[in-house]
Amino acid sequence: MIVDAHVFLGAGLFGYGQTLSEVCANMERLGIDKAILVPVKPRDYHLAPMNDLVADAVRQYPDRFLGLCRVDPWQGEAALAEVRRGFEELGACGLYLDPWEENFQVNDRIVFPLVEQAREYGKPVMVNAGHVRVSHPTQVGDLAARFPTVQFVACNGAQINICGILLFDARRMLEVCPNVVIETAGTYREDFLEEIMTEVGEDRVIFASRSPIYDQPFEMSRVRFAHLSDSQKEKMWGLNALRVFGGT
Amino acid sequence: MIIDSHTHVDRFGWYDPPETIIRLMDEAGVDQSIIMTYGDAPDVEGALEYIAEAVQKYPDRLIGYARMNPRRGEKAHRLFQKAMEVYGFKGLKLHPVGSLSHPGSRDTIEMIHLAARYGAPTLFHCGDEEYTLPLQIAQAAAACPEATIILGHAGGYFHVQDAIRVAERYPNVYLETSAMPYPRLIKEAVERVGASRVLYASDGPGCDLTIEIHKVRMAGLTPEEEEALFFRNIQRILSNVRTKEEGQ
Repeated sequence: MIVDAHVFLGAGLFGYGQTLSEVCANMERLGIDKAILVPVKPRDYHLAPMNDLVADAVRQYPDRFLGLCRVDPWQGEAALAEVRRGFEELGACGLYLDPWEENFQVNDRIVFPLVEQAREYGKPVMVNAGHVRVSHPTQVGDLAARFPTVQFVACNGAQINICGILLFDARRMLEVCPNVVIETAGTYREDFLEEIMTEVGEDRVIFASRSPIYDQPFEMSRVRFAHLSDSQKEKMWGLNALRVFGGT
Repeated sequence: MIIDSHTHVDRFGWYDPPETIIRLMDEAGVDQSIIMTYGDAPDVEGALEYIAEAVQKYPDRLIGYARMNPRRGEKAHRLFQKAMEVYGFKGLKLHPVGSLSHPGSRDTIEMIHLAARYGAPTLFHCGDEEYTLPLQIAQAAAACPEATIILGHAGGYFHVQDAIRVAERYPNVYLETSAMPYPRLIKEAVERVGASRVLYASDGPGCDLTIEIHKVRMAGLTPEEEEALFFRNIQRILSNVRTKEEGQ
């Protein structure tokens, strides 16, 4: 079972995006069984209609998709209401926070009510992590430690740096915060993913492409060619994601 | 034939003996790799000797570059000269995050001029960190038009477009593909600066050689372009390297 834990849907403000038919065609071509759909930030900046778009796709293909609800913490009460709508009416399987595109620090107090809401509904929180100004692994760890019963998913291996100076912080954060898993997408380096799987925990890494920002077939090669056992890869390919997001 | 233009062998800090890269080369079908340490000489005592020993042990498989701290001035110059003349190294590696030497600084420029007098290329770590940005390294390329400057990682995650722009502006600049996660931008780089100025590299053993080769093959290049990236360009660059300083 291959689950891509991070696939964007919609036409985005920042020049990336994809339609539902493109998502389906790529999954078919690449043998991906399921995907967690994440709304893009659209050109009109309104996230609620994008949450509807994702929910519609999940309703259309319930066996193939789960969807996240995306909100901007700067919207305060309106964001909180949208999270409730996401969980109660749209059937969202978790909350998506993007400190990079919505421009907030992930451990800022404006985020806390949203995470409290996710905790109340027993839903995971995915964070666009690894951006050093807004979602440095230490900031992700700070948030995760504040909410130890909430499951967090840190994108980009929790560190975006091509010389390895964030590897220490990302690993330390994962060791200190058992409630965080990382996505494989775009991660520097492959031996970091292997190290987390073998030394920190086999349940701590999930395959994700973050397509179309990253290249879906290329991102699959990070798992395909990993120096790990078949059972470890099975967990990365899908079992860990299903446990986190509640799919079958 | 595949030559990997950027890999690491080291016994200080991150421990990667030559056998690690040889194993990954065998696995990926790589014929030769250019190796360098993670730390700078002369700050790390014995760094260049460790590379020289590895090359001596695997002379048909490994090629040495000297990673230097330009701020060490004369001492660095003398060591680099020894690396070229006695150890048979083929190039200079600069990592401004490690050395805190700005690419446009006088120390760095002098170091690059010295390498150029041996016909040796300078491989820069070129990512998203301050001191390693493509437009900073452009200052070195402008100041050293006789030198071959290679932008390792081609700008990393967020600065690939800048790296391509710099290569468009300066004919002595090459782009190197390691670790950056975008197959489509390899294609774009080839279209904009020509296949003759793009090099395949992995940044192994941390980044997996098989995956990095896969990335280049996914870029949609012609067989001739792939050949240029995989070995012809670096062979041409290294064919100009001398064991004696120009004018000596």
